[in-house]
Amino acid sequence: MKNLATPAALILAALAYFVPTVAGGAPVAYAACTTIAILAVMAYGADLILSYLGEVSLGHTIFWATGGYAASRLAVNAGWNGWATAGAAIVLSMILAAALGAATLRTREFVFSLVTYAAAVVAMEVAFNWSFLGGSDGIVGVPPLELTILGHGITGSSNAELWPIAWGLLMLTLLFIHRFRRSRLGTSALMVQMNPDLALALGVDARAVRFLVFVASAPISALAGWLYAYQRAYVGPDMFESYFLVLMLTAIVIVGRRLLLGPLIGTALIIVQQTFFSIGGDGDKIILGAVLAAILLLWPRGLIGVWDVLRRPRTTAR
Amino acid sequence: MNLELEASGISVRYGGNLAVDGIDVAVPAGSMVGVVGANGAGKSTLINALAGWSRGTPMVRGSVRLGGESLDGLAPHRRAGRGLVLVPEGKGIFADLTVMENLALVRPPTDTTGRHVFSMEEIFGLFPRLAERRGHKGGMLSGGERQMVAVSRALRAAPRVLLLDEPSAGLAPRLVYELLATMRTLVDRGLSLLLVEQNVRATLELVDELYLLERGKVVARGPAASMKNDPRILEAYLGSLTT
Amino acid sequence: MNLAQQLINGLVLGSGYALIAIGWTVLLGAARLVNFAHGQLYMLGAFIAWFIMFKLGLSYFLSVPLAMLALGLMGVLLQAMMLRLVMQQNLTSLMIVTLGFGYVMQGGAAKIFGGDPERFISPLQNATIRFGEIWFTWQDVLTLVGTLLLFGVLWLVLNRTRIGAVVRSVAEDPKLAQLFGINAALVYIGVFVFECAAVGLGAGLVAPRTPILASMGFDEVILTFVVVVLGGIGSVGGSLLAGFGLGMFTALFGALVSPAYTTAAAFLVLLTVLVLRPRGLGAK
Repeated sequence: MKNLATPAALILAALAYFVPTVAGGAPVAYAACTTIAILAVMAYGADLILSYLGEVSLGHTIFWATGGYAASRLAVNAGWNGWATAGAAIVLSMILAAALGAATLRTREFVFSLVTYAAAVVAMEVAFNWSFLGGSDGIVGVPPLELTILGHGITGSSNAELWPIAWGLLMLTLLFIHRFRRSRLGTSALMVQMNPDLALALGVDARAVRFLVFVASAPISALAGWLYAYQRAYVGPDMFESYFLVLMLTAIVIVGRRLLLGPLIGTALIIVQQTFFSIGGDGDKIILGAVLAAILLLWPRGLIGVWDVLRRPRTTAR
Repeated sequence: MNLELEASGISVRYGGNLAVDGIDVAVPAGSMVGVVGANGAGKSTLINALAGWSRGTPMVRGSVRLGGESLDGLAPHRRAGRGLVLVPEGKGIFADLTVMENLALVRPPTDTTGRHVFSMEEIFGLFPRLAERRGHKGGMLSGGERQMVAVSRALRAAPRVLLLDEPSAGLAPRLVYELLATMRTLVDRGLSLLLVEQNVRATLELVDELYLLERGKVVARGPAASMKNDPRILEAYLGSLTT
Repeated sequence: MNLAQQLINGLVLGSGYALIAIGWTVLLGAARLVNFAHGQLYMLGAFIAWFIMFKLGLSYFLSVPLAMLALGLMGVLLQAMMLRLVMQQNLTSLMIVTLGFGYVMQGGAAKIFGGDPERFISPLQNATIRFGEIWFTWQDVLTLVGTLLLFGVLWLVLNRTRIGAVVRSVAEDPKLAQLFGINAALVYIGVFVFECAAVGLGAGLVAPRTPILASMGFDEVILTFVVVVLGGIGSVGGSLLAGFGLGMFTALFGALVSPAYTTAAAFLVLLTVLVLRPRGLGAK
């Protein structure tokens, strides 16, 4: 079983690459797939906190927007290429995460959530008012993404051209999360969440774990924002909108927390609904918010909990 | 014999752990029944289950009848309203509320047939200390005073059966004796009482009937007078002396 | 800058902050429930009052109580849905659920009331009072008096009545309260309804100051949070003081530094407090 896991994962990853082609290869298929990959990566950043630390970060839109602003500001005004802007997105988001993580180090539960939430609202206010970041107009005219090594690589701005990068970023993220789950940091984080006393007894420094996981989660969402800037060729304060926050949380809880592919499947479900079965922007908001609330109210463990109930209908009877 | 409280087949499971295993217990009207046993024998779990109450989320089975009526499926606050009133072990009152506020939280029942509503005068008559302390917050009281308030608020609810869980825990021996003697007086006046205690000696002296619990099961049961010489009781008694 | 005028502004702003925050602080104190839909409830309160006044043609003084009633009814519905999670004290899930509710309200309000800004104009907004250089409106007076009145009544109810003792007992230990014959679920619903109605009153009194939008509400959550943390969770008097303090700070900061960054500045104050006292100033 274990020996088959790696080849199976590789085959699945390779198959995923051809999803847009199989779906007809139309621009809308590439657009949907690229968007799903980008937003799923964004969600994985928040997933690290929600699933493994058990805390609700409402501030990951900051890192998402940091990636977007880093890419657009540096590509538009300084002409940096894709590697350089990606590096800047990673470094900047980690600096911001370290600052926010240090400030919230001793806060827990709703205080942590509220501080991260407040930080996001304030960051939006700054982005909205600061002319350096384009103010309320944002930054327009982001050039095509240029990602080359020794002359070979990709340059592009259309969804079909960006898809290989989005796919690659998603696969890297999945690999990272997979490794994280098995790492010392990942298991320590789970222990701190599930059994803080045991963690303390084993000498795990809960604050250090929380801080490191928080900082590690930031560049994931930031890289998603980075690619999003090239996809839209525009970045503005709307990256702080609660749409992205609610989307991240819904994507994580819809299938079930602590599942490797959970956020990806969740994002795919949401984007497919919004792309192909949309009932208008405000209607989609109602659907997204209602799904988020309903899942937690009815099946707190996510859709995977429904599956468990269906599979074993009688064993839980009183 | 008129059984005021009648519980049968009570089982309580915490996770995979069976803490109480099919216990039957009954309290005749106007009598005092004691439940003793070592730490972890399931005494508190049993009395909490009777009240339908728990700080955790155990699986509880069995049926409880109060004055002939079934209480099964009723939430703890409904059982308290019907007259099955529990004073839990340890923290029995609110620290942020004054003595008077603690006592006034309880609403005497609307239907008082067969139940005695204790007036504030009666309560201050039983526990004169509380009259002096009426304006103090619960958190400022001594352990003995707190236990008095906890018992008093239970009496305010006009209990058909009072469930008392380890009232002696953490109290000085003289206070324990005073408190239990007061409870005996109330029983002699008609109160029905189920007492869970670790203090076997004090319990034996005061109760009419005694149950001995071991590992979630009743291992001995009988009138207090005859249980005094039961070797298992003596063993439990010795156990309680050494701890 | 006219200092006296800024102090008046601070007083008026502060009473608004305190008024909008009070439901939340009571809810948090009694049920440990964080309601992220708070800002959207404020938005809905403003829109419902606006709708009653400008679409149904009723008076301002009827529209505000009716909006409070509508929000209170919605509170019953929302809390009934959340009751199981509240009884389990599953706070993480509850936070996310309220976030989802808020998003539904945002989308629903835009669908029902439209996405354009509206003006919810109170008849008292243009009735000004002048003392030389200083001026304020009767709406400001109403807000200030209404806030002080609500806080006074609330303090009395919480500290001097049996209902208040019941709420405080559930706040301290809901399980123990059950043994006192108290139905904690009912208390939770009551407190949540109070939160909704109180924020509805806040919207009715404060929203006339600015245009109302279906997408507003975020600043209100932050300011509420600052008030609650500074004043101490569940503390009525503390919230009032914190509200006024924050109002003064905002007025002076807006006048001296920059009005665009007032929320950011308030947030920095909050962060400083939280770094020093992670559970807030009121924590024991």
